[in-house]
Amino acid sequence: MSTPAGPPNGTNPAGALAAREARLAWRLMLPALVVLAFVAVVPLGATVWESLHRHDLRLPWTGRPFVGLANYVTAAADTRVRTALGHTLGFTAVSVALELVLGLALALGLDALARGRGLARVVVLLPWALPTVVAALVWRFMFDSESGIVNAIAASVAPALAIDWLAHPWAAWVPVVLGDVWKTTPFVALLLLAGLQAIDASLYEAARLDGASAWRRFAHITLPLLRPAIVVALIFRTLDAFRVFDLVYVLTGGGPGTATEVLSLTAFTALLQDLRFGYGSALSVIVFAVSFGLALVYVRAIGARTGR
Amino acid sequence: MAAPRAGWRPVTLLALAGLLALGLPACAPRPDVLTFSGSVVGGEGEIVRRQIARFQAAHPGVRVEVRVTPDSADTRHQLYVQWLSAWAPDPDVLQLDVIWTPEFAAAGWILPIDLPPEAAADFFPATLAANRWRGRLYAVPWFVDVGMLYWRTDLMPAAPGTFTELDAAARGAIDRGVPYGLVWQGARYEGLVTVFVEYLAGTGGRILDDDGTVVVDAPAAVRALAIMCDEVRDGIVPGAALAWQEEQTRFAFQNGRAAMMRNWPYAAALMRDPSGSAVAGRFGVAPMPHGAGTSGAALGGAQLAVNARSRQPDLARELVRFLTAPAQMLERAEIAGQFPARRRVYDEARLAAALPIAPADARRIIEHAVPRPATPLYTQLSGLLQIQLHRALTGQASPAEALSAAADGMRRAIADAGLDEAAR
Repeated sequence: MSTPAGPPNGTNPAGALAAREARLAWRLMLPALVVLAFVAVVPLGATVWESLHRHDLRLPWTGRPFVGLANYVTAAADTRVRTALGHTLGFTAVSVALELVLGLALALGLDALARGRGLARVVVLLPWALPTVVAALVWRFMFDSESGIVNAIAASVAPALAIDWLAHPWAAWVPVVLGDVWKTTPFVALLLLAGLQAIDASLYEAARLDGASAWRRFAHITLPLLRPAIVVALIFRTLDAFRVFDLVYVLTGGGPGTATEVLSLTAFTALLQDLRFGYGSALSVIVFAVSFGLALVYVRAIGARTGR
Repeated sequence: MAAPRAGWRPVTLLALAGLLALGLPACAPRPDVLTFSGSVVGGEGEIVRRQIARFQAAHPGVRVEVRVTPDSADTRHQLYVQWLSAWAPDPDVLQLDVIWTPEFAAAGWILPIDLPPEAAADFFPATLAANRWRGRLYAVPWFVDVGMLYWRTDLMPAAPGTFTELDAAARGAIDRGVPYGLVWQGARYEGLVTVFVEYLAGTGGRILDDDGTVVVDAPAAVRALAIMCDEVRDGIVPGAALAWQEEQTRFAFQNGRAAMMRNWPYAAALMRDPSGSAVAGRFGVAPMPHGAGTSGAALGGAQLAVNARSRQPDLARELVRFLTAPAQMLERAEIAGQFPARRRVYDEARLAAALPIAPADARRIIEHAVPRPATPLYTQLSGLLQIQLHRALTGQASPAEALSAAADGMRRAIADAGLDEAAR
């Protein structure tokens, strides 16, 4: 292909082309941006605006006065909110770490499969396909201390192990974390499997010829080359885990007391049970801001790794 | 010629259809249509349809439309609040849960309804008290739900009357090999508050006093919660019950795994059926036991109110009066087994066959009914209380700590809403 004829006035033809392409790109993206503005930016803006008001549906005589950041001040001073934030961060850290380790192991196993990989992949994906509410109900039944299978097994091993899972402030986290790990590990595994299959097999052959052990091949070839896939999996899982709602809502309802209450559940209670729209919106904005901040950190991390 | 006509004809049709769709409801005069929203599933639907048909027959030219709403209390509450806060004129008549009336009345969403004195005297006092806001009646009791003690007649000679007797009866049953002495609804939800309200009545405590002041951290209330905590600690109530709602407790009692149970009347009808119940013919029903206070039954049930923006408030009130008349209550009891809210109905011979327990027993329990606090903030206050009750029951706080935390939170919520200084 010959170089396209540039304008005769002597400007850099490649630069002009780039500018034209950029203009075209913006024009092509415009419809998507407009849609995004309507479905994401406008509702978000409305929520932020609402969060600056005192608006309580149950108390119509108080009106809807503008109160600035008062709702945020209330939230910051509310121990229930701070405890819920701690719970959410802890839940995110523990469950995402477990999902990453187990997902990587699962992906390596699937990658090593010589036959039946397609079938195995379908089977692995099953938990991911199940609606969270259904899965959470099943976990609740399994951990019911009267009739659940977990205590039936525990009692046959040692009666002391059969405890009231959902009535214990620490033990209640076990079904919650297990439920999340069980459901989302397949998702992590599939993302990592795609990453594994993109690694050039000749690298492993060369390493093997040089006498590298399996561990060295894993640590020096697999892990570094898998890093982009790992970061993507982490972004998805961290954001999802931080906004966890349905699993906790069905499984423990945030109890016992507020021992497993996560931030989305606090926001839900304020919004839809207490009908405090202003305050509930402020809590929702906090959930959004923290998860957006986490996303930024990850995006930075990718950028640093790829040298950009 | 063909092209332009093919082009504009569908457009015209569409425009016409649009005009019709927009214009018809607006211009068609339909002055005599009332909308009713309430529980219409199963037997309750049959009752409502029958009674509405009779109302229409008595009021020629009036049509009552039934608006189906979710049977889950929380969902219906959300829906009502959305409609009413947007000043929707329908439904004209709403079925309210007993704890919503003050909230809707304070918001100005429902109209006061005055009863003639002889009718007012006929209703159980607690059912009217729960539906008053600032001295006026805003909803008419439709049917009553009360908490009561189910006990196994083959395990104990008589129902325990006091907390001490309850404790002894439970321990006796456990010694005889029954796994649980007593089961109640211990999960963190509204049901836990109703159980607590009954223990509170038993020790003479309250959540709010008559002035709306928070007294849930008073010694009598702490004693009530301490009794509940001790029952769990001593293994009389299983720890599993701290995650149970009504149905799980019924399963435990119905399968013969519990000697006593606190539950609503619905359980009696289900457990009398020998095909699914191991305790059919072997259980009785009694008022909840008490200590220094009096036996109390948490008051539940449904009431009917009129939308403040109704286009025909008088006709809507007429429908409410009709549906809450003794004849309709008796029919409702016969079909759905729900307890009438008027005392006179309990003298009807036909009621004995309709209710799952003897009408005299039912009446005795309802006379002891205690309403939950009548405040527009009820949902929020109850939510705060549920958390702290559950913390104490699961050993995360002492009864006194938990209730003082609950009281602090409730006082703050009441002050935030400006209700503490509101004119009264």
